[in-house]
Amino acid sequence: MNLAEQLKEQALTEARRQAAREDGLAALRREGLAALERTDFPGRKTEAWKYTSLRALEDGHLSALAPARELEAPADFGGHRLVFINGRFNEALSQLPDEAGLEVIRLDGSSEAAPGASTEFTTPFAHLNAAALEDGLMLRVAANTAVETPVHVCFVSSADSPATSHTRLHLELGEASSLDLIEHYSGDGPALTNAVTELHAGPASRLRHYRLQSEQTESLHIGSLLLVANRDSRVESYQLMQGSRLRRNDVRAILAESGAELDMRGIFIGRGKSHTDNQVCVEHRVPHCQSHQLYKGLAGDEARLVFNGRIHIHAGARQSSADLTNKNLLLSRGAEVDTKPELEIYNDDVQCSHGTTVGQMDHDALFYLRSRGVDEKTAQRMLGLGFVNELLQALPHEGIAEWARPWLGQSLEQQ
Amino acid sequence: MLQIRDLHASVGGEEILKGLSLEINPGEVHAIMGPNGSGKSTLANVIAGRDNYEITGGDVLFDGKPLADMAPEERARAGIFLAFQYPVEIPGVSNLEFIKAALESLHEARGEKPLDSVTLLRRAREACKQVNLDQGFLKRGVNEGFSGGEKKRNEILQMLLLEPRLALLDETDSGLDIDSLQTVAKGVNSLRSAERSIVLVTHYQRLLDYIVPDHVHVLSNGQIMKSGDKELARELERKGYGWITQQEEASGA
Ligand SMILES: Nc1ncnc2c1ncn2[C@@H]1O[C@H](COP(=O)(O)OP(=O)(O)OP(=O)(O)O)[C@@H](O)[C@H]1O
Ligand SMILES: [Mg+2]
Repeated sequence: MNLAEQLKEQALTEARRQAAREDGLAALRREGLAALERTDFPGRKTEAWKYTSLRALEDGHLSALAPARELEAPADFGGHRLVFINGRFNEALSQLPDEAGLEVIRLDGSSEAAPGASTEFTTPFAHLNAAALEDGLMLRVAANTAVETPVHVCFVSSADSPATSHTRLHLELGEASSLDLIEHYSGDGPALTNAVTELHAGPASRLRHYRLQSEQTESLHIGSLLLVANRDSRVESYQLMQGSRLRRNDVRAILAESGAELDMRGIFIGRGKSHTDNQVCVEHRVPHCQSHQLYKGLAGDEARLVFNGRIHIHAGARQSSADLTNKNLLLSRGAEVDTKPELEIYNDDVQCSHGTTVGQMDHDALFYLRSRGVDEKTAQRMLGLGFVNELLQALPHEGIAEWARPWLGQSLEQQ
Repeated sequence: MLQIRDLHASVGGEEILKGLSLEINPGEVHAIMGPNGSGKSTLANVIAGRDNYEITGGDVLFDGKPLADMAPEERARAGIFLAFQYPVEIPGVSNLEFIKAALESLHEARGEKPLDSVTLLRRAREACKQVNLDQGFLKRGVNEGFSGGEKKRNEILQMLLLEPRLALLDETDSGLDIDSLQTVAKGVNSLRSAERSIVLVTHYQRLLDYIVPDHVHVLSNGQIMKSGDKELARELERKGYGWITQQEEASGA
């Protein structure tokens, strides 16, 4: 049996065990299991996984669920906070929001309100998440509701030996409503977080979404994010992450109805021997939508950053406007960046641009700083932060920008 | 303070400084003049420690210690400051942040406590006034989009805050308007003291009317061809460099 087959075997065993449970999540689990059975795990020849090996999962992550634990709460940005520890909701650390029009539904089997598994997810990890889910969260914002306070969902994963936490966050934003949503992943140890996030922005709604991934270097994260923007909605998504042993994000954003607008930005920091792979696909399915994407990557040490940005414009999606920029800075000789834009455009009536760059630290700038007494490491950190600063400055949430600066600085200092 | 003996240095494998000797004592102001491409900036960069500038022979000693063994930041901490001929733009890093980091490292090297942010800001603002730059320049990216003259004044602003013991000013007067020239000169003069030494690399006698040097040197083809007092600068202004290079050829012949 090769690795892909082994992983599938492990995943199926776990999924079948969970599928036996009869509760409010049973339908979701059954759908997940069925999809998992049909799907192969990626192997060396799978194009979308060309640069990312699943060797790190060899130690049996998929066959063990991370046990519940008591852990310290992660960063607080103010606002409503909902904390999950190793995939289970922690009431003591959470404050359930009490705002009119904002409904918080636990996906722990106690409610029948669980959403079905989305067919937009295609990876075996998303299927396994559905099949093995124990606890998750669904947020519903009623039409015409502006939720004043940001909702901050924390997923902390921690383990002493290889184990997986499956996390699930689901949002339905009603017509003409608005919400600021922060999803923050943190933790340590050889824990794998297998995260699924599904966000639906209703007509004329506004979503500001922050996705922070600050797990320690030894941790693993495989995330699936689906964003669906409906008529005249505006979705902003800010994704900040530092590298860890294995970090893979499959992001799919769908402009599903006319007039939708998507603004997606990211900062990817690779350090140590970390491996970070972001696969982003933005799909224009209908006419008159806009998407803007800007990502900056910093790779130091022996870190690897992989980025694949696909813009897919369907035949009927006339008058689409889409741009994508990915800029990378290599901080050391041992670091590597593989970045690729992919355009799939099936009509002529579009405005589309893309660009990717990989550069090195400006030697003159480094000398300038050093000649004023700043040591080399600090100078590199300053230039690195300077490189991503335009994105940090543009973060609408000041608390997150303030939190991110020293955090990103630290991960740069470990070079 | 600074002793240079028979210095040979090359850039990118090509020898630029060819046996240069110079001694600078505490409290002295030296002016270095010389034709384009003669090696003035090379000398300044060798002293500041830019990589690719290789010392292939001779000595450069600062307080008796060889500079070749010191990283650029160590030289800065020892009190060396180079005002660049072409200051570098660093988008994304604010001027104030840059000054703060530089000051912190210098204070740390001296075993002093870092300045609290209120004092730092107050000093930075005072320095802005001294060089006639609006306070808004503190918030902008380092030299980002600054005009030529603003960049030069920003160098002096940093020099005033970092209070070096040996300041090398590489053509800080080039591209300055008359008022800015006086502002810069005032700033430099305010630093003059018995412990501090200043090296002015310049093409223009005018700067030397405001900052009167103790010694003037002519650098040509990687060597000091002639040294004198401030009168030498006036003579050069009248006669041009040809006068010296021809003299040299004549005596060599
Ligand atoms: N990286 C390099 N590679 C090769 N040659 C170089 C390099 N940098 C400088 N040089 C050469 O070294 C010589 C001295 O240059 P330097 O900048 O020191 O002159 P300068 O006296 O400062 O001139 P200016 O008055 O024009 O500023 C020049 O001929 C220049 O072309
Ligand atoms: Mg020069």
